[in-house]
Amino acid sequence: MPAPLSPITLEIIVLLLGIFLLLSESFSKSGDKSWMARFSIFALAVTFAWSFFTTGDAGVDLASSFYSADPSALFYKRIALLSTIFVLVMSLDYLPTLRQFIPGSTVGAGEGEFIALPVFTCAGLMFMASAVDLLLVFVSLELVTISFYILVAYMRRQSTSLEAGVKYLILGALSTGFLVYGITWIFGVTGETNLIRIAQVLPAQLAPGGRLAGSESGLLFGLCLFIAACGFKVAAAPFQFWVPDVYQGAPTPVTAFLSVGSKAAGFIVLMRVLEPFLSQASIAAKLLPILGILAAASLIYGNLAAMVQDNLKRLLAYSSIGHAGYLLLALACVAPTDSSFGHSGVTISFYLAGYMIMTLLSFTILIVVAKHSKGDDISHFNGLSKRSPFLAFAMLVAMMSLAGVPLTVGFYGKFLVFASAVQQQQFLLVGISLITVAAGFYYYLRVVGAMYWKDSSDEAPIRVSLLTKFSIALLVFGVVYLGIFPQPILNMLSSAW
Amino acid sequence: MSPVLFWLFTLLMLGFATSVVVNRNPVASALSLVGAFLALAALFVGLDAYFIAVIQVLVYAGAVMVLFLFIIMLLDLKAEQRRRFNIVTLLGGSIVAAGFIAELTALLSKFQLGKRGFPTLPGAKPVDDVYQVGMTLFTTHNLPLQVTGVLILVATIGVIILSRRELK
Repeated sequence: MPAPLSPITLEIIVLLLGIFLLLSESFSKSGDKSWMARFSIFALAVTFAWSFFTTGDAGVDLASSFYSADPSALFYKRIALLSTIFVLVMSLDYLPTLRQFIPGSTVGAGEGEFIALPVFTCAGLMFMASAVDLLLVFVSLELVTISFYILVAYMRRQSTSLEAGVKYLILGALSTGFLVYGITWIFGVTGETNLIRIAQVLPAQLAPGGRLAGSESGLLFGLCLFIAACGFKVAAAPFQFWVPDVYQGAPTPVTAFLSVGSKAAGFIVLMRVLEPFLSQASIAAKLLPILGILAAASLIYGNLAAMVQDNLKRLLAYSSIGHAGYLLLALACVAPTDSSFGHSGVTISFYLAGYMIMTLLSFTILIVVAKHSKGDDISHFNGLSKRSPFLAFAMLVAMMSLAGVPLTVGFYGKFLVFASAVQQQQFLLVGISLITVAAGFYYYLRVVGAMYWKDSSDEAPIRVSLLTKFSIALLVFGVVYLGIFPQPILNMLSSAW
Repeated sequence: MSPVLFWLFTLLMLGFATSVVVNRNPVASALSLVGAFLALAALFVGLDAYFIAVIQVLVYAGAVMVLFLFIIMLLDLKAEQRRRFNIVTLLGGSIVAAGFIAELTALLSKFQLGKRGFPTLPGAKPVDDVYQVGMTLFTTHNLPLQVTGVLILVATIGVIILSRRELK
């Protein structure tokens, strides 16, 4: 393997970028820090391009390593990089708001770290995408979670941000406890922390007379704890209590990052860890119903509670729970005989990619509109079509896609999920999700209605910066393009699974 | 390890841990935490894991707790007021906790793997704990160690950002 193109260079570049940002922040004069965001966007875009020139992990003995760079890991690394780039674009628009709520003695104080921390989070997400050992899973998950604790509570002068920070910290710590306890059990019963090794030794251990014969319940207990901990990270019911308050209280770019990054990372970890266990029919038969129950609970809770929300950030929080439900539904429909995730892996990854695009799109627009309307309620979107037809149209696309209207990426993602659910004959779950899709139409279209059919008292046109305009246009294009031609990504994914 | 000692230290640890949560005075809570750490260290000694036991005392009971106490003293925290608990929260919390304990008890009673004794280690030679831990951390387990380093860096930034009176 040629050393300079080894995939771990991606993480190293991102980490070096983070350290460079911290150093330049401490050595540069005080003042506007937006150049740091622009520089990071550029550097991360270069890293994203670089990711297409790295080699896979051929020739590496994964069973004794921590880090795998298989195509699926690379795919999730790209998701992490892209979402960080768009989050930084949002941060540029958000810096003026942020400035009001951090106690700085000089101009630009505390803004550099707001840009450096997402870069470190991105590195954590990328490590997590590659982790094939429970130890690395844990460490990188903590890296991500701890930087999110800081980012959520960043606006210290705003009590909602602090409240969100404390809530997230306490529940996050609880979920970490579950995670470690679960890992302990899995390690204790299988004797391995490496997931590839576990996949190798598990069949013999489960066979009659094997180490685990009669002690399967210990393994299941560990796995359930693990699923609970991941449930916190991906915002699945009944582990969703923190979601609405934290999403609403956190600085908006952080909310976007939380809903995209945390979810993608949670699902790649969930898939990687569950893969060796789900390929064992006796364990899959017990785990899949649990995942099905989580999916149904998230679908119902998220979508029904979203219907009564008036604050758009809160609405998107509940919709995030709902989308976790669709993703879990795909996970619960893994064919029990598959040796790997196969079709479900493709479905989940495609859904996550689509979810990333449409969520980032709606949050980018939300930040711009909230800056001008001084609030992030749905009523602040009233008459947006007159104030800025461009933003209104982009938001229309985002909401249509989140609801799942055909010709958008959201529709195709949901279609794949339903297809795999029907294939596995999970008709009850399909019925539940069809009802929740209908509920989704109601609350997403409320936003559209506010934009196009309601009048605003404020008629002043909204100005959008060039970079934001460009990123919104790119995201709109992504939603529509992948909604019509999903094949390129699907081909890429089916070679990964 | 003799079962008597095991139960003694386990009960001590659980007692201290409960008192961390129940105590309203932060200093008393912190001191109970020291007690819990020491009892845990004793359990490690009972498992012949001397290195972890020593680290537990030095790092947790020593350094971390002294810092805790400093912070508590410096901030001059008063005893917390007794809070009235919301009945629904209390009920929900106790149901979850009781369910968890019930599940764990049911699991442990029929968990065959846990009834085995420890396997005898090959060769009666004593193992050099510190050497082995060091070798593991810096050879085979180096990547997680490096990521932990980044994690601590991020945590340090967080402390400064969230606690400094005025950012510069």
